[in-house]
Amino acid sequence: MSLLELPVSQPGPRAPRAAQSPPWRLIDRIGLAVAWLLGLLFCALAGALVLYFLVQGIKYVRPSLFLTNPSPGFTATATGGFLDPMLGTMLVSAIAMAIALPIGIGVAVWLSEYGRPAALARVAESTIEMIAGTPSIVLALFGILLFESPALGFLSRSSEGVVFGRSFFAAGAMLSLVALPLVVSNVREGLEAIPDHVREASYALGKTKFATTRRVLLPAARPSVLTGAMLGAGRVIGDTAIIVVLLGATLTFDRSGSVPLLSTLRGTGSTLTYYVFYNAPTGEGNQPTKAYAAAFVLLMIVLALNVGVDIATRRSRRLRWSS
Amino acid sequence: MTVSETRLRTRLTEGRVSRREPLALRPKKGIALRLKIRTVAVTAAVTPVLAVPSAAAAATVIGSGSSAEQPVLTALFAGYAKVHRNVHFVYTADGGNAGVKDVQQRRSQFAVNTRAPLPSDSRTVQYKLFLDGLCVAVNKANSVSNVRLTRAANIFLGVFTSWSQVSGSGLTTTIDPIGRNSAAGSYTFFQQAVLKGQTQASNVEQLSSDGLVATAIKHDKNAIGYVGLAHAGKSSGIKTVKLNGVACNATQIKSQKYPLTRFIWGVLSLKHPNSAAAQFFDWVRTSSAAGKIVAKSAVPAFNKK
Amino acid sequence: MVEEFRLDTEPTRDSDRRAELMLGALVCLVVVLLLGMFAFVLYQAWPSFSHNGLSWFGSRGNVDSQIQAIFNSGTSLGHEVYAFHGWPLIWGTALVVGGAVTIAFVCSLFVAVFIVEFAPDALCRVLEPVVRLLASVPSVIYGLVGVFVLVPLIGNHLITQGSKASVQGIITLNGYSLLAGVAILTVMVAPVMVAIFSDGLRAVPRGWIEASLGLGINKWRTVWKIGVRTARPAIVAGTVLATARALGEAVMLSMVCGVVSFAPNPADGWIFFVEPTRPLASTIIAFIDDLSTPPMRHTLYAIAAVLLLSAALLSFGGWAAKQPMKRYGART
Repeated sequence: MSLLELPVSQPGPRAPRAAQSPPWRLIDRIGLAVAWLLGLLFCALAGALVLYFLVQGIKYVRPSLFLTNPSPGFTATATGGFLDPMLGTMLVSAIAMAIALPIGIGVAVWLSEYGRPAALARVAESTIEMIAGTPSIVLALFGILLFESPALGFLSRSSEGVVFGRSFFAAGAMLSLVALPLVVSNVREGLEAIPDHVREASYALGKTKFATTRRVLLPAARPSVLTGAMLGAGRVIGDTAIIVVLLGATLTFDRSGSVPLLSTLRGTGSTLTYYVFYNAPTGEGNQPTKAYAAAFVLLMIVLALNVGVDIATRRSRRLRWSS
Repeated sequence: MTVSETRLRTRLTEGRVSRREPLALRPKKGIALRLKIRTVAVTAAVTPVLAVPSAAAAATVIGSGSSAEQPVLTALFAGYAKVHRNVHFVYTADGGNAGVKDVQQRRSQFAVNTRAPLPSDSRTVQYKLFLDGLCVAVNKANSVSNVRLTRAANIFLGVFTSWSQVSGSGLTTTIDPIGRNSAAGSYTFFQQAVLKGQTQASNVEQLSSDGLVATAIKHDKNAIGYVGLAHAGKSSGIKTVKLNGVACNATQIKSQKYPLTRFIWGVLSLKHPNSAAAQFFDWVRTSSAAGKIVAKSAVPAFNKK
Repeated sequence: MVEEFRLDTEPTRDSDRRAELMLGALVCLVVVLLLGMFAFVLYQAWPSFSHNGLSWFGSRGNVDSQIQAIFNSGTSLGHEVYAFHGWPLIWGTALVVGGAVTIAFVCSLFVAVFIVEFAPDALCRVLEPVVRLLASVPSVIYGLVGVFVLVPLIGNHLITQGSKASVQGIITLNGYSLLAGVAILTVMVAPVMVAIFSDGLRAVPRGWIEASLGLGINKWRTVWKIGVRTARPAIVAGTVLATARALGEAVMLSMVCGVVSFAPNPADGWIFFVEPTRPLASTIIAFIDDLSTPPMRHTLYAIAAVLLLSAALLSFGGWAAKQPMKRYGART
């Protein structure tokens, strides 16, 4: 009911009832029109992008691409598929998440449960924000400095005292920095959403703070941990700058040494993003069909991760704390 | 409700409460001990694995240099691995000049370069490996078939800018010259052999590998660029032109009639030459198996038949 | 019998204290890592800055030939060349990032308002996951779209023979241009902004919107004057995040912007938009193979230092922009 309709004791006859609201000004109409226009344009653009890659991908993806390795050549048949780049993507994201998850959960727990001295907490928050805002090419160059030093020489190939510095370890370590802020912010949000009475009940039962965190809070915050992990993995899979600089740019796995898994980790290789970059018209491989196929696979992986995040957030919304 | 129970309830609602002494729950010692043992065991298992030096069975030899010869070198590494199983080559194609610098600074154990040694290549020793030619290539839509060497120089110096100034091309559009950057041996070779020491014009696109040059020419019908023979083959999608009437193919290069014939050089450090790399260079130069591999995309010079 | 309780102000148990110390050490490690990054990068960058002084940011001559000279002097000890005047790179970065963020900001604001308030429900339910998907797509894929679709479009339809002839001998116009870079970067950055803006708009208390509607103000005005104003901290956060992403974009811009370190000249008229350029991050990627020669290394780290300091300034600017908003109780 608009204010005009409320019974008010007035001297004289009532003014005629106005419309529900005053007529829209021209500028408001223009604003609304622009919003609709841009909104529909955005939908169209998003739809066009998704459709474009779906169509091109389905045209060019073949099962043989998943099973053969890339090989040097000039024609589509000679250049092989992207088995090693795909394995490289999974390997590098596994290393990155294996480093980022424990550190991220630890930092998030400290920030939300302990947080003393307060100055350190503020510095830590700013640090995480700063890491989130650092360009990945700068992280890559820092990685070169770290991993070309003799102290970390065992993590990559070295010849006569000169450390190569580029390996799966190096790329994975720097990519974990890319994923860290996402893990920290999501886990922290999850932990802070748990009401205090849960913690108090646990203390009342005699649990230490650490045991409470480990046995009560973190399991309860599991959807947030999963969300953070998947968002972080999504960013790690999509990063190309660190891969180009720190992974050595060999299309197939180039093992260093003879120990089975370790030689792969210390050696060089490539990932799907590098494979797409290499086969684009601006890259050396110049196989557009392979680039489309690899881009399609990459999109499917990202889509799967996004669906996973959706499911995890829906599950967390179902958990309602009785307060 | 007793007084103390009321006090407990108030405390519980006001702030966090913890008991000073735990109840009978004291499993921590056991868990902590088990965790400690687990950690120590894992560390003990992992450390010797990490400490194993890389040269356990296979020797790794690190090299860098020319991207123009990368196809040939990849095939040669594979061929050499059949004869000497325990040598593993790692090659980074960052350009011939960059490769020489890597050897000078001991970042690579060997390099492959596509230009003759210069005084700035101090502290290295260089060996001729095989012959190659620097081809000038255009897009397939361009009908030019023969270019004089001086005209090619003027195109890359920015003097001629339109295809209408080049006879036989059938185009009237602006020329898009594409070349290499200064890390490339091909760049220096082109500068010495074609531009007579002058620097290529600023409108020449400088790309960092021969593969990129070939790709760029393939996508632009107004392009002209220079690539090694290995990247100018039939399946590369670009068309080579004759220079001064001589075609860029193996026969003309072997007889050295083609004006831009060049030797491919292997570079080693002077003071600490790597023996595995030296053996490899010997094999490439002289063995007949290597000669057959080289003949596919370059020209063998000294190999036994 | 009730045992004595006391308020939990200090960790009371050894294991708790140990846990707090260990976690605190972990946090300190992360902080030290970031400080170490600043220190190492600036240390490696210092020779290039000290040799050039403030003229590092100036413009004198062709950047590509300066880089060539730096590379060639690499192993002649004592005669190393460090001369570098990076204005074309900085100008290119400013144009690409500024253009993309400005256009994306305006568009994203309208799109976010549309999604939150005016879109029909069905469209909304489809659009939400699509926006989040687009925000997480890797940048090479956007680069691929740019190279396959946008660059040929610009090269064949927007660049005429006359425009090519007018700059012949200086640069080559072939579709890899400033316009392609700005367009693709806008498309890349917009979903991120839309996602954060719409989160912020949704967090506006429903009561405020309804009170305003109840007073007779039309919906557009309500959303604009009250919703958007309240969501200002989210808008600032989204813009800062998008600008940071745009600044750090190396690979995608190296695919669509061209291979010449050229400073597009507004005085060239319409050709200004189709001139190639090379932002700072793409320059690092282009010359990453030559990292081992010392002068080249110092120059590349100097470029990285400029990027790092810009990102730090951006973070600080975002924090500073949110400070006055705290006064009015806006949620930050």
